[in-house]
Amino acid sequence: MSHLTRREPSPEDLARFGAEIDDLRARTVADLGERDARYIRRIYAAVRWIEVLGRGVLMACLFMPQAWIVPTVLAGGLILGIAKILDNMELGHNVIHGQFDWMGDARFQGKTFEWDIVGTSDNWRKTHNFKHHTYTNVHGMDDDIGYDVLRLFPEQKWHPAALLQPLYAVIFALLFQWGVAVQDLRIGRVFIGRITWRKLAQEAAPTLRKSRRQLVKDYLVFPLLAGPAFWSVFLGNLMANGIRNVWTYTVIFCGHFTADVQTFPKGIVKNETRAQWYLRQIQGSSNLSGSKLLHIMTGNLSHQIEHHLFPDVPANRYAEMAPVVRDICRRYGVHYNTGSMVGQFSQVIWRIIRHSFPSSPAPMSPSLQAR
Amino acid sequence: MSASAQAVNGLPPTAGWLQRVMAPAVDPEVFDFWVQHLNRAWSWSRPLATIVERRVEARDTVTLVLKPNRHVGGFLPGQHVNVSAEVNGRRVTRSYSLTNVPKPGRSGSRRMSITVKRVEGGALSSHLVQHARVGDVLGVGPAFGEMTLPAQPQGRWLFLAAGSGITPLMGLTRALAAQHMPVDLTLLYWVKTHAELCFLQELRALSARFPQFRLQVVVTHEAPTVPGEAQGLISAQQLAQLAPGLSEQQVFACGPGGFIEAARELCAGRSQAFIAEGFTPVAPVALPAATDARTVRVTLQRTGRELQLSTGLSLLDALEAEGLNPPSGCRMGVCHTCVCPRVEGTTQDMQSGDTQSESNMAVRLCVSRACTDLTLDL
Repeated sequence: MSHLTRREPSPEDLARFGAEIDDLRARTVADLGERDARYIRRIYAAVRWIEVLGRGVLMACLFMPQAWIVPTVLAGGLILGIAKILDNMELGHNVIHGQFDWMGDARFQGKTFEWDIVGTSDNWRKTHNFKHHTYTNVHGMDDDIGYDVLRLFPEQKWHPAALLQPLYAVIFALLFQWGVAVQDLRIGRVFIGRITWRKLAQEAAPTLRKSRRQLVKDYLVFPLLAGPAFWSVFLGNLMANGIRNVWTYTVIFCGHFTADVQTFPKGIVKNETRAQWYLRQIQGSSNLSGSKLLHIMTGNLSHQIEHHLFPDVPANRYAEMAPVVRDICRRYGVHYNTGSMVGQFSQVIWRIIRHSFPSSPAPMSPSLQAR
Repeated sequence: MSASAQAVNGLPPTAGWLQRVMAPAVDPEVFDFWVQHLNRAWSWSRPLATIVERRVEARDTVTLVLKPNRHVGGFLPGQHVNVSAEVNGRRVTRSYSLTNVPKPGRSGSRRMSITVKRVEGGALSSHLVQHARVGDVLGVGPAFGEMTLPAQPQGRWLFLAAGSGITPLMGLTRALAAQHMPVDLTLLYWVKTHAELCFLQELRALSARFPQFRLQVVVTHEAPTVPGEAQGLISAQQLAQLAPGLSEQQVFACGPGGFIEAARELCAGRSQAFIAEGFTPVAPVALPAATDARTVRVTLQRTGRELQLSTGLSLLDALEAEGLNPPSGCRMGVCHTCVCPRVEGTTQDMQSGDTQSESNMAVRLCVSRACTDLTLDL
């Protein structure tokens, strides 16, 4: 981990670095228009058509000979899973960030958009848009560091239960949408007596309503519509949700938990300048290199660095901003963390395994000291 | 808010029993996406209208005849509606006067006409005049405006129209004509040049048909070419000459702000009544420097509060200084927690320096300051 000892930019360099990033943002925002509006509409249309196709294929189990049912369920589940991935990532996540607020189209307003997932977009706006994006990778402030479930950094406290984390990391992946849904409820508060069960139930009401709607839709209404093919549709929907869970988990973990990302102590956010904030976003994020299809299917979180610098700039712009950001980083000696999905996720798996055992932080690097 | 609650709340006032029954199972956006493959003006709850006819009225001026969907409300002649369309990816909304007379009948045969003059640099007017085509769909808000006809119009009336101020007065003139002109009406119509004149043939035909209706065109920036045309800006002398007996007339005036002020000075107190509607072309607001803070009136529409806030602070800081606690997060323009729609007024993005006056666009309170009096949906 050689980069951890790399020299930090001087205050003057850092200010210039921040100004260049600001400038890139301003140039991009000034150019937003028709092209971006058309892009998000096309994504919306793709979600609708692929969802109908997936549900249609599953319904077709009604007319299939016995031998064809399993492949049909697999195909329908996969297609529906792709629709849900697109809905959650390239559409929902980006719209909820307010990336398309400038259009003034009620359909793409970040404040009101709701998505095909058990968690409510209201909770997400708080845990993700605010906490995770403002306090990225700051211990004790960014709940996304291991989601309070996994120990991924030596700065997190070790507990014997962590020994089993390779196992429950898999369970967490399969149920990822539920992890996201309950994240803001911080259920642990009940066990340490900070709130009562009754209070928790009150706070959980919107999440429960949303989850119930999702469950009724995927596991009751659509299977019932299929009549005799009830279980085919049921299983296809289960598979679709599962595929979405595992994929989103993989992509999101690649974004902040690869080997070279840095985490930060709480003190760092005190009096942080915008340029320092930019630097922290870059140091705490990692990109995935790949094809256009990969970028779309990851909701452009493959451009995690650009997303963290410009969370409210339309994601379809990240691909053209990335070379500029990379060049700025090169010139100021800032590490730009990118790699293939296989490579990056292998590093995540390594972290999950390594830090299930006791580990202690490396000696403090300059970047971790209070600025 | 759960998706179902949203769907139920999304029920329009026009919802029938079938829609109410379906509501819990329908996501309005998804519904709109699919039905709009069949007809682009169909919607679960949004008032939309299709352009069914486009007529060129004068240079840079077109009349668009709209066929509203069932969510668009009724209107009275003389009223305006907010019309919105997407221009370069952004939804832009402006008010236009309705120029036709609503006809009773089935909802499918309803029509509404707007007459739009292209304003130099005007985003929506340029779009509507130059690019809008038959078949395009526009958003249409509820009709508003007080300049409407009484239940039983009578007496002597004087209409003062300047430029595109003709539009609401044309609506009223047509409505009066539909009632066989129950009043003694004079229409004075000022234009800069002849090329701007709208509805001329129809107005002449009306004055030929109804002896109690008199049309007088006044040209200000060209020599009169047709006998009977007058010339010059509005003045006491001109008014006395073209519309004698002011004290017995009810005056309706519509035009640019400056024209209305002049008309008011000449008529108010001297005529039976003076009803006016002025419009000001969207002019760039002269911005005071951030350091040169003033206070402006900020109206919070949802809570019904009215505050005096400094233009030197971000809106979020200024609201908090007043003891309010609007939702907020990062305080650096990133998380969009504090975003709220600006109903009216101009704000400045403190990071980019851009000013925005588009109505109903989202503003990030933490990085925006007020430039003018504001109304926020908060």
